[in-house]
Amino acid sequence: MTRALATPTMAAAEPRLAGGTAPAVSPAEVERTKPALSAQGPWRVVVLNDPVNSMSYVVLVFRKVFGFSEPVARKHMLEVHEQGRSIVWSGLREQAELYAFALQQWHLTAILETDETH
Amino acid sequence: MKRIEVKLSLSVVAPLLDLMKASSDVLEAQIAAPLTLDDIDADFRDDWKAELLQGQQEELHALMGLFDSDFFVNGVVAFDEDNAEIIVRACSALRLRLRRHDLKVLGDEQLESGGVELESLPAPLQKPYMCYVFLGTIQELIIQHLDAAILRGPSEPGVEFEAAEDDEGDEEIGGDGEDEKG
Repeated sequence: MTRALATPTMAAAEPRLAGGTAPAVSPAEVERTKPALSAQGPWRVVVLNDPVNSMSYVVLVFRKVFGFSEPVARKHMLEVHEQGRSIVWSGLREQAELYAFALQQWHLTAILETDETH
Repeated sequence: MKRIEVKLSLSVVAPLLDLMKASSDVLEAQIAAPLTLDDIDADFRDDWKAELLQGQQEELHALMGLFDSDFFVNGVVAFDEDNAEIIVRACSALRLRLRRHDLKVLGDEQLESGGVELESLPAPLQKPYMCYVFLGTIQELIIQHLDAAILRGPSEPGVEFEAAEDDEGDEEIGGDGEDEKG
């Protein structure tokens, strides 16, 4: 993903991360800081199965995007193929967005999830 | 620089180009893969989609650019570390479009098994299916021969990789065959 796309997210995240540290927290502040926790907490990048992209293509994409070894990439590919989805990365939201975007550039069906999603 | 040249059967591939071009034109304004951006900030989604679309357009222009006047003279297309990645991605985009539009009546299992007999398909499906298989074959050839180049990334002008291979491979295909799906 290019810097141009990453910038709006980074700009939006900074004010959120600055809030919510006061000892007495009002309900309004709780609501305000909720997205901040979501931004920092574990976000999952999930790849969903599609009937079009070949196994070798998906393995290549995982190796290219995440730097996985061939066995690790193959393991995730098989999870996608057999279980319909694979969690390929988890961590901070901003990085998760970058990975999801990169996978979508390769025309894989990639989504972001948090614990709150389920 | 490793480079492969693929000799294509003009009589097989040329009739597919109109469909490839038509599908490519549709994808000028439409992202090929299903896109779920529910968890993305609303004010960020438009930029996200626009950048995906721009990348897809560049891929498709590169792919269609292979079939220029030279191609109609010698039937050869060439792949190297500079175009391998973009062409592989373009093939994926077009296959997704063909599957969702022209081949939507075929079941996933039918396509994934690779057991579709061309002659058994209704006439309107035969060309899209040939196109789908042809693009998959191109993808597999590139992945088989140039995966290291894709993983390494395109070369920068004036930069030579020490490990770069200078061999030149030749393949000849007529747009037939099938691959395994993920």
